[in-house]
Amino acid sequence: MQKILVTVFLLIGCCFLINPVSAQSIDTRTYSDSAAYDTMLDEIVVTGTRSPKILKNSPVITKVFTENEIRKVDVTHIGELLQSELPGIEFTYSMNQQVSLNMQGFGGNSVLFLVDGERIAGETLENIDYSRLNLDNVQRIEIIKGAASSLYGSNAVGGVVNIISKIPVEPLHVNFNTRLATNNEQRHGGSISINTGRLSSATNVQYVSAGDLKMKNEGVYSKVYGNRTLNVKERLQYNLGDNFKLTGRGGYFFRERDSQVSSKDRYRSFNGGAKGEYAFHQKSNLELAYSFDQYDKSSFLVEDRLDVRNYSNVQHNLKGLYNYSFDSKNILTVGGDYMRDYLMSYQFKDNASYLQHVADIFAQYDWTPTKKLNIISGLRYDYFSDADISHVSPKIGLMFKQGRFNFRSSYAGGFRAPTLKEMYMSFDMASVFMIYGNRDLKAESSHNFSLSGEYTSQYYNFSLTGYHNIVDNRITTIWNTELKGMQYMNIAKINITGIDANASVRLPSGIGARLSYAFTHEKIEKGQPLLSQTRPHAATARIEYGKTWRKYGFNIALNGRLLSKLTTYEYTSLTSYEEMEEVTYPGYTIWKLSLMQTFRQGINLIVGIDNLFNYVPDYYYSNSPYTTGTTFSAGVSIDISRF
Amino acid sequence: MKPVILFIRLIMPGILFLSFPACNGILGNIYDEPLAEEKNEFGFIETDEVNNSGTVYIDATSYTRWTYIDFHALTVDSLEISEDMREPEHWDIAIHRYDVKTNGASVLETGFTGLSTLKASGEIPKGDYVSDEWTTNKIVVDMSGMMDGKLKYAESYYNRELSKWLFVDTSTMPPGYNPSNKVYIIRLKDNTVAAVRLRNFMNASGVKGYMTIDYIYPFEV
Repeated sequence: MQKILVTVFLLIGCCFLINPVSAQSIDTRTYSDSAAYDTMLDEIVVTGTRSPKILKNSPVITKVFTENEIRKVDVTHIGELLQSELPGIEFTYSMNQQVSLNMQGFGGNSVLFLVDGERIAGETLENIDYSRLNLDNVQRIEIIKGAASSLYGSNAVGGVVNIISKIPVEPLHVNFNTRLATNNEQRHGGSISINTGRLSSATNVQYVSAGDLKMKNEGVYSKVYGNRTLNVKERLQYNLGDNFKLTGRGGYFFRERDSQVSSKDRYRSFNGGAKGEYAFHQKSNLELAYSFDQYDKSSFLVEDRLDVRNYSNVQHNLKGLYNYSFDSKNILTVGGDYMRDYLMSYQFKDNASYLQHVADIFAQYDWTPTKKLNIISGLRYDYFSDADISHVSPKIGLMFKQGRFNFRSSYAGGFRAPTLKEMYMSFDMASVFMIYGNRDLKAESSHNFSLSGEYTSQYYNFSLTGYHNIVDNRITTIWNTELKGMQYMNIAKINITGIDANASVRLPSGIGARLSYAFTHEKIEKGQPLLSQTRPHAATARIEYGKTWRKYGFNIALNGRLLSKLTTYEYTSLTSYEEMEEVTYPGYTIWKLSLMQTFRQGINLIVGIDNLFNYVPDYYYSNSPYTTGTTFSAGVSIDISRF
Repeated sequence: MKPVILFIRLIMPGILFLSFPACNGILGNIYDEPLAEEKNEFGFIETDEVNNSGTVYIDATSYTRWTYIDFHALTVDSLEISEDMREPEHWDIAIHRYDVKTNGASVLETGFTGLSTLKASGEIPKGDYVSDEWTTNKIVVDMSGMMDGKLKYAESYYNRELSKWLFVDTSTMPPGYNPSNKVYIIRLKDNTVAAVRLRNFMNASGVKGYMTIDYIYPFEV
């Protein structure tokens, strides 16, 4: 904790020591496109309101990762990207070395991940397959913390992460990129996009692999399994006129994990979709979309050379969205969705399959009565056929502007309906115990209250957000004495309270710095099956310097993650919730230094040193970083069409 | 028409067509079906009388059963573990999950990873053959108390050497399974010799506890 505070003060000091006035004398031709001078407040965002809004005018606090930021952070996995900037987000390993998310007290199934607004099928231990979220050809990533079920329905209990694909703007753009890192980590990719005015196409292929990584000390896992991932995506857009746009997309994903000598875990996805967008006139537009996503798991039995599927989740989605602007001050958004959700799983008795239908309608009103005030309110009704559950999710948000200050406050409801897995599971857990589903589960629900203040000047941005979540009926597995096994059950109310603080500076001289801090407090009554696993304090920091000339540019950045220790209680037995013992998971910091150089605006060279100070855990807990020390990486990205 | 536009116009309907797949998914035929016959046939499923070799396939999924293998008579028998359990009159090795005991034999782990290379060597490997030992904490018969650290064991003989054919790492959940892939020489109590190699410990669906064992008996040089 001390380390975090010291770093916080040092970086805040840095922010003030950097004198913006002296930067005024810099030649504008140099700094105007400086890598560090890309203020994002004029970015268009859509996730918070489902209609385009300039970030600084959005009544919903939205964190944006731009394409440039994604490139500079130079990571492959979306978890590394989110962790690099957002304190309080932790990707760890759960059982069977599956990746698990904790976002300030909310797990993977309480944070809704979307790609261009579409849901992602499949899960393992309550988390989607994050490897599917290929960061190539991404325009930006928008993140909303807090409940958002009034627009997105189930799973948007703790937040929404929306990955927005890049739309081709150049007539022809060809890119090849490759990256090598310690431990035989490899990433190779390429994309071709064309834009003829009416027609555009973007094709992307990415291959990622890593070898087995043996840990240096004892721990929950002695090695990280090697794996290979192939990701292919195609997006095609056809403008039938000035007011009608048709988009088609398709994708394929394959991942193989060397979990056992005799068998390999395989994961596949086939996905596609079609969307039509029609603008009736300047005031209104209609969007109709269909999407399909299939996520399969199979075991490849090495001896018999057999690839046997044991899991398939198939989701068909139909979506309608209509926006109407009465004038510049009043926008009405209405919509509805239908989803057919099919699940076959090895975790059901005799590999059975189940089906459910989900339907919803929603409406939102965005009202700007004065230049200083914006009020947004929404309501959504969701229905789940198999559980026969319906849920109403409200939202009201208010933004008040005063000079360089923005103040926002909101209340939003969130919920998560029980999944088919949670209702029908009947799974023999390694012959140790059974895990049973429960058809009587209620939906999880949350009430999110937040209050924030933001100060923005030409070079500085400060924000402070406080929030409180009341989460009821959270679903988890509990030991059932009668069944002599675990069973999915709802548990009592949990309160999650926190503060997010952020300070950043971006100067024309090319210097930039950012410091973000998150405090999270989970209040869970003793005797509840779940106990807090969230670190109370976390911070991220970044300091960078960059310049761009006509034929050359560079950006050097130091990124840090600082996580406090976690002292919590754990039950001494998994079959009783009476006796507990105190456990402490150590805090740690990880720093990364990277240098990006751009030649002739078409060649990007990035070299990086990760885990700069060679942190190696004494014992590898599930929530420890699975690192063996300092690693090195080097990558090159070539935009051939720029030459 | 420009080639680019033509390309896109051809691709677009294809993508749209692919976007409307079958209700319960597509491309199911890229996967294999589990080998159905493996599910029900147990025992000496292959025998080669000329080469004295073959394959035994057994269901050792139960924690409460021993499966007895008799290389002399090419028979397999299975018994529920109990205090008054009477073992078969003739047997050579017995398997409980991945644990092994022998009927008065001793075992040596070799460096060979295939029976054919052992046979080609033309000799019976020498070394420290390991006999069974009496154990009270090896043969788990009740896993239900595992979550509280209270496993129930059956007292039994146990051959530590032959049980090396599959190392089960229980320090992680689910456990890690590491087969040695090695050939083991078993000196039976009548001084005849068997050579065995665990080919697989799963059935075609990936369910663990189904043991496929390749053997040579009698192994003579």
